[in-house]
Amino acid sequence: MIVNQFLVLAALLFSIGIYGVLVRRNAVLVLLSVELMLTAVNINLVAFGAFLQDELLAGQVFALFVIAVAAAEVGIGLAIVVLIFRNRSSANIDELNLLKW
Amino acid sequence: MNLDFLAIAPTVIIVTAVVLLLMVDVTFQMTHRWWGIAAALGFVGATTASVWQWIEHRGDDGELFFSDMLAVDGFSSFAGMLVFPIAGLGLMAGWQLVRGVGRRGAEFVALSLIAASGAHLMAASANLIMLFIALEVFSISLYVLAGFTRKGEGADEAALKYFLLGSLASAVFLYGIALIFAATGTTSMYGAKAFLDSTLILRPGILLAGIALLLVGLGFKVSAAPFHVWAPDVYQGSPGGVTGFLAAGAKIAGFAAMARVLVVPLGSYIDDWAPAIAVMAASSVIIGTLFAIAQTDLKRMLAYSSVAHAGFIMTALVAGPAGIGDMWFYVSTYAFQVVGAFAIAAVVSGALTGRSPLSDYAGLSGRSPLLAAAMGLFMLSMAGIPLTSGFIGKAAVFRAAIDADYLWLVILGLVAAVGGLFFYLRLIVVMYMQPEAEDAAHPQVRLGTRFAVGVAAVVTIVVGFVPWPLLDWVKDAIPL
Repeated sequence: MIVNQFLVLAALLFSIGIYGVLVRRNAVLVLLSVELMLTAVNINLVAFGAFLQDELLAGQVFALFVIAVAAAEVGIGLAIVVLIFRNRSSANIDELNLLKW
Repeated sequence: MNLDFLAIAPTVIIVTAVVLLLMVDVTFQMTHRWWGIAAALGFVGATTASVWQWIEHRGDDGELFFSDMLAVDGFSSFAGMLVFPIAGLGLMAGWQLVRGVGRRGAEFVALSLIAASGAHLMAASANLIMLFIALEVFSISLYVLAGFTRKGEGADEAALKYFLLGSLASAVFLYGIALIFAATGTTSMYGAKAFLDSTLILRPGILLAGIALLLVGLGFKVSAAPFHVWAPDVYQGSPGGVTGFLAAGAKIAGFAAMARVLVVPLGSYIDDWAPAIAVMAASSVIIGTLFAIAQTDLKRMLAYSSVAHAGFIMTALVAGPAGIGDMWFYVSTYAFQVVGAFAIAAVVSGALTGRSPLSDYAGLSGRSPLLAAAMGLFMLSMAGIPLTSGFIGKAAVFRAAIDADYLWLVILGLVAAVGGLFFYLRLIVVMYMQPEAEDAAHPQVRLGTRFAVGVAAVVTIVVGFVPWPLLDWVKDAIPL
């Protein structure tokens, strides 16, 4: 089995995610970019799991755990974004500059 | 498969306390007294279970449980004996906050318990999947705690910054785990150790990339430079009652995870990761010290000082397995100092507010001599003045680094320690020599804070005078 194409896809997705985190100014889109990075990891894990022919299916099981944890993280993240939006009527992370230096 | 409920006793006790607390609170609408009793039962029970594990498994008697998912050894039980009392002290010092948020206080107590249990599991996990889940249990609880007052000056901002950067670090950490899984074919740390010790990998590129990403993720959690940018904002913005546990818990859990991952599965690659750790340590002590000098807010200054302390602790880790005992010594003494210092900050500047400008502390010695004396003691100990625990800690980590031939790192650390004197002593000058503001309120010190500060001060002094018992213990706090 050739895993290269999966790994390239995962690396690309991961890079797009990091790019999104760095340049996006809306907190929801930053959150979305982080999710993209986690998805890239999932692709990696499943591809490696299939490639290694692991009897315990550790790769696939790990991907399931990551999906569950990512869901919990998004739950908290969106709650925090809603909180920010209620306090400031904006979810633009450039405006979060009360704390500096 | 080795199933033993003693192995997971601390976690089970904490989870029982959390479930009881939440169920009973919803049903009977208890007062905050009962939350305190539930939390005390949880923390005391978990500490006792950790002590029991320590007696059974310290030193060379470590064992793996639950299909190699969980390691119970001196390392994990020492972490349990440290993190549960620290979390309890942090909660006591923040009790004003629990009372101040009304009925939501029960959630605060429950989240503190869960975070402590996650921190302990980070030290105990023997599998990378377990490590990731423990890390998330710990981090997600802290994201919520950091913004618990919802409004506050900057609490929401602190929570969002902590969350966004924390989940970014988690994703990077996870990518590193995936690469290590690819290189070794297993997620078990001890399986990976057996594989890497017996196999010569001709092209270790994937493994090295995995180690690098792992270090980035863990460096973020312990707020080591250059991954420290979240720490000042989160420490300053989060309410005073949270910061102590946030600072101490993140150090204990982060360094426990870092030490086990580096020494157990990647132990045979020490020549590859030790220089990276040394560079992170060097940049942490320099950046932490330099930026702390420029601060005018106490909590922000302590945040940069914690970056510098992360550097000192990493100085011990360059020695590999030989430095783990010294790392634990430094982490345990620092955890008490930082919990005590933030407990005082929560009294003087308020447990529900984030900011704590240094002017709040002007003339504190006149208003509250005991608080000022305790704060002065913690500052002297963090600076590493002899006859405090901080001095012995610095001596221990520097000795470990010298033994590992990292003399340049030790010299740099000494210079930074001298530079650190400047801002630690400045706070003492502010407290003792500046006149207090006309409208300065007399700080109200409650029983919980008194107890937390008292315990932290006693530990700092006693370990400073009689360090040998702790120095002997940490020798047994090694991973299996």
